Amino acid sequence: MMIPRRTLLGVALLGGAAALSVGLVCTPSTANPGAQARIGGAAPAFTVVDTNGKQVSLADFKGKTVVLEWTNHDCPYVRKHYNGQAMQGLQKKWTDKGVVWLSVISSARGEQGFVTPEQANKLTTDRGAHPTAVVFDTKGDVGRSYGATVTPHMYIIKADGTLAYMGGIDDKATTRLDDLKTAKNFVDTALDEIAQGKPVSTTTSRPYGCTVKYQS
Amino acid sequence: MRRMRSAPLLVFVLLSILGWQQPARAAAPASDLVKAELLAEPGAITRGQTFWVGVRLRMKEHWHTYWRNPGDSGEATSITWELPQGFSAGPIQWPTPTRIPVGPLANYGYDGETTLLSQITAPADLAPSSEVAINAHVTWLVCEKECIPGEAKLSLTLPAAAAASAAGSNDGPGAAFEAARSRLPQMSPWPARMDVTPDTLTLQAAAKGLQRDAIRSAQFFPFSETLIRHADPQTLAVTADGLSLELPRSALTIGTPNDARGVLVIDEAIGASTVRHAFALGDVAIVIAAPIGSLGTILQAALLALLGGLILNLMPCVFPVLSIKVLSLINHAGQSARQLRLHGLIYTAGVLVTFVGLAGVLLALRAGGAEIGWGFQLQSPIAVAVLAYVLFSMGLSLSGVFHFGYSLQAVGGNLAHRTGLSGAFFAGALAVVVATPCTAPFMGTALGFAMTQPAAVSLVVFLALGLGLALPFLLLTLAPQLVGRLPRPGAWMETVKQALAFPIYATVAWLMWVLAQQVGASQLFAAMIGLVLVALAAWSFSIWQTSGTWGGRAAAAVAVACMITTAVAVAGLQRDQIEASPAAQTTAAAGIEPFSQRRLDELRAENRPVFVNMTAAWCITCLVNERVALSTDAVKSAFAAGNIAYLKGDWTNRNPEITRILERHGRSGVPLYLLYAGGDEPVILPQILTAATVLQEIDRIRDRNSQRRADLPTSAKE
Repeated sequence: MMIPRRTLLGVALLGGAAALSVGLVCTPSTANPGAQARIGGAAPAFTVVDTNGKQVSLADFKGKTVVLEWTNHDCPYVRKHYNGQAMQGLQKKWTDKGVVWLSVISSARGEQGFVTPEQANKLTTDRGAHPTAVVFDTKGDVGRSYGATVTPHMYIIKADGTLAYMGGIDDKATTRLDDLKTAKNFVDTALDEIAQGKPVSTTTSRPYGCTVKYQS
Repeated sequence: MRRMRSAPLLVFVLLSILGWQQPARAAAPASDLVKAELLAEPGAITRGQTFWVGVRLRMKEHWHTYWRNPGDSGEATSITWELPQGFSAGPIQWPTPTRIPVGPLANYGYDGETTLLSQITAPADLAPSSEVAINAHVTWLVCEKECIPGEAKLSLTLPAAAAASAAGSNDGPGAAFEAARSRLPQMSPWPARMDVTPDTLTLQAAAKGLQRDAIRSAQFFPFSETLIRHADPQTLAVTADGLSLELPRSALTIGTPNDARGVLVIDEAIGASTVRHAFALGDVAIVIAAPIGSLGTILQAALLALLGGLILNLMPCVFPVLSIKVLSLINHAGQSARQLRLHGLIYTAGVLVTFVGLAGVLLALRAGGAEIGWGFQLQSPIAVAVLAYVLFSMGLSLSGVFHFGYSLQAVGGNLAHRTGLSGAFFAGALAVVVATPCTAPFMGTALGFAMTQPAAVSLVVFLALGLGLALPFLLLTLAPQLVGRLPRPGAWMETVKQALAFPIYATVAWLMWVLAQQVGASQLFAAMIGLVLVALAAWSFSIWQTSGTWGGRAAAAVAVACMITTAVAVAGLQRDQIEASPAAQTTAAAGIEPFSQRRLDELRAENRPVFVNMTAAWCITCLVNERVALSTDAVKSAFAAGNIAYLKGDWTNRNPEITRILERHGRSGVPLYLLYAGGDEPVILPQILTAATVLQEIDRIRDRNSQRRADLPTSAKE
């Protein structure tokens, strides 16, 4: 009588362990976009490599305001903001004031927006862009942990490491250059408010643009 | 070869990257990713009238354009109209979208082809035989994996006429419009609401009585881009209450969302196949679901319930019960303290157990989907009548017509005796039962809170209410010195007792009034005869108690007979209540007859064409068919013109006659539509109806009948 019971127990334990390990293996892929990053919560930590081969961690910028800009230079929505010189203007204005601006490329190898470090640096020069650094997230881990869905998807992290803004860059979800003139830029407004020590009035908006070309 | 074919596409991509966009026209080059066309429904434009136009977008294989909410990325197609003076265009009427997964994200849009319909209204002073030029500037984003914005300037010239010309709707662009309209979501037949908590969203559609296994899947497409996480699964539950979809809430909407509108898509199993229905939820009530109360709020509710319970003792239905208990205490002030205490505790237990029982029934019914609150017992006419009879016999007993064996005066007996104790328990239960029609101040707030809480919290509130009800008597028995302070026993007690009968009679009168709202006049009369029988039974009972042998036996027999008759009358009340089902009610109104095999045979013997609609309240397809086809004016007038009898069979509850008809036509369920027109076998109409299909079948039988008449000129004269 004893042996069958023990066998049973063993089978149950094995089964449990198997279920547990399947669960563990599956967990990362079922992570919900948007589930982790929350306004007022701690911004997910990350360490990435920039276009000059330098390691960049969010932790390096403690005490500074950090802007994350998801980008894909071939996306028509990103092109609107660069062709109109709007994105470069915003980068220059705020990096001059000590804000850290990271342009994040989550496009997987072979997908639209994927570039080599050299191409990325050339794009920065050619377009007159002013980010603090352009960083690679080719595996998409950073993008997924922030819930970045589109380019351009914008995030602002306050000096204390909490998330202050996430969403679209402005309120005109189009590819028309003309709309830049009348659009209300949420990022500029939020950065102004943070600089003045005020609470951010608009903390979220609809992110619009092209789908981030994640590794599938 | 491959290269050659993709060359034009590459050129297009390059051109659009350079910001040069070629306006696509109706006859655009084949290399275009999107072919846009402007269509108008056939028929001339007339003054003051509204007509349909559509922008048809044909996408290259695997490419898609977007719905009004594009999902995680993308952009809705937009149309800017340029119309002659006085014309106005309505918004785009969006066809039901499909969900397009893109890696870990999801979009809502259209693959292959879509027609975006709009309605344009002509001015009232439109000159006839003028030409109307309609221009549409359409912009879109078309994506496969990568996205390309596009635009087209489309134009159309239409004639204006004094009167509308008949629209040929069976072929050409007319059919295209018919098809496009069939892709628009239907107005939802059910009210919907969105329950919102800081972390969850639950969409509830009050589709009562849906069959769980018939609903294959359901999905909600919200209008708001920032309401839900579009790519995450939505969890469906079908209860007696309707359909509920748990939606993954997006972090992009902080606080309470202000727009919960959208389209609900349901796949319903009909026999072996699946039918997709789309319902527009244009008015979704946003309900902020109460989070589980903090300890403070629970205590507050319990305190309110305790107060309410205390006050309940003063209500006309309960006060006499309590008073009698107190009177009997006065009568037996000499009991030992221990016996008194035991008595009070058992009375309290009776109150609490009954309250928990009632709360349990209430919570179980609510979990089952019934929308009920405190006083739910009074929704049943049987419960109201029984309560009235119980109170009435109590009143009679107080008036001295008869003596309730032990229950009310149990305290008077030996407290240690078994019947004395069970009597105390019974008295507690009785106090609760007679208290149920009443609501005391504070009680409503406390119970309202309890209803939104998990079962355990609800029970705490109910127990506090019960404790409040039991407390005055319990305190008296726990502190015998208080009993000593009560007035001395005497003849006044009998007078008080008799006086206490009158609040009880008043309660009975009120219950009869409640009953009058629930049943018809004849039923009410039966219920009141029941009161007379209760009085007769009470009187016979007292004779049996006091007199011997023959007279006593006869009296006992009368009492039993009265009680049986009353019970039968009360049981009859319910049957009267459930007889009218909603389906039967609508039938009577619309000149539609309820189905029966006999009526069908009669009509066919008269040679009248008959349309049979087998339906059920829980069948969504049936509901949709009735809305879009059977209850349209066109179909109704065609039925009238063709002298077609309309029989409607309601299969909501199983009906063997209908089941036989279904089986005869190879069906295991509804809907089933039959059109009998002479001959032996009826035409079976499809399970998905449009007004056009029904009209076509009616036309066909009319043609056939006139043919027959032409063949037999003599019989036509007879």
